[in-house]
Amino acid sequence: MGRILLVLRLVLADVRRHPGQAGTLLIAITAATATLALGLSLSGGTEALYRQTRDATAGPDMVALSPGADRKTVTTLKSLERAPGVIAHSGPYRQYYTKLTAHGSTGAAVVHATGTAPARVDRPLVTSGTWVRPGGAVLERGFAGAMGVEVGDRVTIAGRPMPVVGIAVTAARAVYPWGLGIGPGGGPSDGGGVVWLAEPDTRALAASDAPVTSFINLKLRDPATVEEANRHDPAWASLLGDTWVSTRSWQDIARQDFVIFRDTQPILVVGSWLLGFLAIGGVATLAAGRAVKQARRAGLLKAVGATPGLIAAVLLAEYLTLALLANALGLTIARLAAPAVLNPSASLLSAPAGPSGDTVFFTTVVAVAVALLTTCGPTVRAVRTATVTALAGTARRPRRRPWLNGLSALLPIPLLLGLRLIARRPGRAFLHGCNIAITLMVATALLIMYAQPVEGYPGSPMATAARIAQERHILLAVTVTALVLALVNTATITWTTALEARPTMAVARTLGATPGQITAGLSTAQLLPTLPGALAGIPLGILPFSAGEVTAPPAWWLLAAVLASLLATAALTALPARLAARRTVARTLGAEAS
Amino acid sequence: MNDFGAVLRARGLSKSHGEGQSLVRAVDEVQLDVPAGRTLAVTGPSGCGKSTLLHLLGGLERPTAGEVWLAGERIDRLSERALARLRRRTVGFVFQSFHLVEELSAAENVELPALLAGRSRRAARRRAALLLEQMGLADRARHLPGELSGGQRQRVAIARAMANEPLVLLADEPTGNLDTAATLDVLRLFEELRAGGQTVVLVTHDQRVAATADRLVSMRDGVFVDDTWMAGRGSGRLADLVGLED
Repeated sequence: MGRILLVLRLVLADVRRHPGQAGTLLIAITAATATLALGLSLSGGTEALYRQTRDATAGPDMVALSPGADRKTVTTLKSLERAPGVIAHSGPYRQYYTKLTAHGSTGAAVVHATGTAPARVDRPLVTSGTWVRPGGAVLERGFAGAMGVEVGDRVTIAGRPMPVVGIAVTAARAVYPWGLGIGPGGGPSDGGGVVWLAEPDTRALAASDAPVTSFINLKLRDPATVEEANRHDPAWASLLGDTWVSTRSWQDIARQDFVIFRDTQPILVVGSWLLGFLAIGGVATLAAGRAVKQARRAGLLKAVGATPGLIAAVLLAEYLTLALLANALGLTIARLAAPAVLNPSASLLSAPAGPSGDTVFFTTVVAVAVALLTTCGPTVRAVRTATVTALAGTARRPRRRPWLNGLSALLPIPLLLGLRLIARRPGRAFLHGCNIAITLMVATALLIMYAQPVEGYPGSPMATAARIAQERHILLAVTVTALVLALVNTATITWTTALEARPTMAVARTLGATPGQITAGLSTAQLLPTLPGALAGIPLGILPFSAGEVTAPPAWWLLAAVLASLLATAALTALPARLAARRTVARTLGAEAS
Repeated sequence: MNDFGAVLRARGLSKSHGEGQSLVRAVDEVQLDVPAGRTLAVTGPSGCGKSTLLHLLGGLERPTAGEVWLAGERIDRLSERALARLRRRTVGFVFQSFHLVEELSAAENVELPALLAGRSRRAARRRAALLLEQMGLADRARHLPGELSGGQRQRVAIARAMANEPLVLLADEPTGNLDTAATLDVLRLFEELRAGGQTVVLVTHDQRVAATADRLVSMRDGVFVDDTWMAGRGSGRLADLVGLED
């Protein structure tokens, strides 16, 4: 117990002394685990939301639809009440295809003629206002959100002004604007939003010859067998006769709800892996930058009698604790962000539901792996270094790169200094290049997405716009997160390089290098790996799209991205480089000698 | 610059740290003239302000008050950039801790000032080879500092300081980290530099090292307390003079 407390006290003391480094580690791992958790939660998450909504609204196991509203159609649909396995129903109802105008914009609407009393099957849950009453309309929540309509607003349905008395959600239809169903004439529906009106209020629509479909909601004894309830079953075939009837099972609707994520899930999952790489890069940079200090700390602990096991525990515990904390933060963020990501149209109930056990396990493994992979090496080295060497801070000397030193001697001073700084720690320069490559890869993917012509569902511009917006929002979020991580990583690498190079740069200043040359040298050391990183990132970003036919973004967009990465690196580098150059030479050399 | 002109001059030179009760005057109103071609040794106990004085003379630190003139130019008001350019041509530094760049070979360390001064790689290499030859380190040119002894490292540092043929060589405890034999090696080098007309200011707390100079200044609490010109220097054997040989 005493030993654990000692480890915890040492870890806390180190975190207090280096809050910036602890913060960087937290940000890096949190971003990666949050995105990963969101990506993993998507498929299961939408189904969970659909189930919640279905339970809360007595959602049907099957909806049977048929074009028209003539007697034969209605009779056929009504006969399904007696179909084998059916235990409850509501309808048949009519749905009219028309337009709704609100606040100057017009959208496709599917008007359900309904009763004012709740039905046995499909009882839409009113989330705001009241249920349908004569002269008042209730709008599906996703549709109301898209049209910017609230309870009390006035809308125009098929030319008739009407107040909105309520907003509701239903599980009888897939989320707006992907509502499946047959449209007028038997073709696919146009993705319109559902509007519930009292039956008398729909008579004007009937009189205006608006396209109409009839439907009935059915509840089965065994919902799992719903896929078998079709024309291939002789009992069902005899009831359906020669009437054209299309059926939608609750599984169909749940599957259709996931359509919106068909393109966004890969963005989140692949994005989370890319962010994971950035996180590994950031943590590895931190660990490498702290290697000398860690070795000295290990030396101090050894000198006062600590065992290698205790030292390893102290050094690893900090990263592991921070990684676990970051994982918890990432999962919390994923839980909070899930409703916006999983239910973008708000057409389903989004009661808070945390990531699944599998997701928690997986992200925890990833967070711990990131911490272990990046810190094990430095920790083992620190533990194995001789005490005196560790105390002297000479455990990890830079390696000599004669060819690079020789090459740099031919170049102007900033390049000479920059190249020699790279030669000291080429691994770090490679890491920086990888960070930039991943960032540009994500940014290129975003630019390609933006460059694509808007192609969507025929006759459903709302659905198309919503899908494009959803994809772009997710990609933008991943890109912004990647940019933040890349900026943090670049700043970390620059600070680490500037701190490590301080004595060498001070010596260079005693030999006649100006502060400007030192600043330029430190910036060059970051810019040199940035350029190949950025150039590699662009084809890597294009690669995932190469299989299909994509519209390439204008070349100047990509060129601007490369230039932006160089400028951002230069700007981030300027401050630590300038500060490092401004420190007095005597002070730096004095600190080095002591 | 002739023998009678001061290549390095300080007037009312002061450097203080802290304020009020904690004010420390590291260097206090120092007046100094170092004639060209002469060796000045500054001695005194640890913390008396010797190293600070050397840093002020070389433009590595800014004085709180007073003036520093180097080769006829007042340097205490120069920008960092101008100071750096001045250092390239006129000042060479030698430090107690050598301050060699660990990942560069001995030759690359010696080449560095010439490259920073804009000389070609070939010229820098030629000069480095010559200096290392003079320092007796021709066979160690490709060695890293970590592979050299303390005395060898200090000789590389001196060669590096001489790379651009500076007007003044400033040495801060150049033998502080060396054993007796290495100290003798370094002192021989300083003797050769003095004989060659090189202006040298060296800071040391070792009286034997100080005895090799033309002029000896003692410092205490930031002020000069003694200033002695050594008569008849250069006539005897160095080892006899400093008592390093049996």
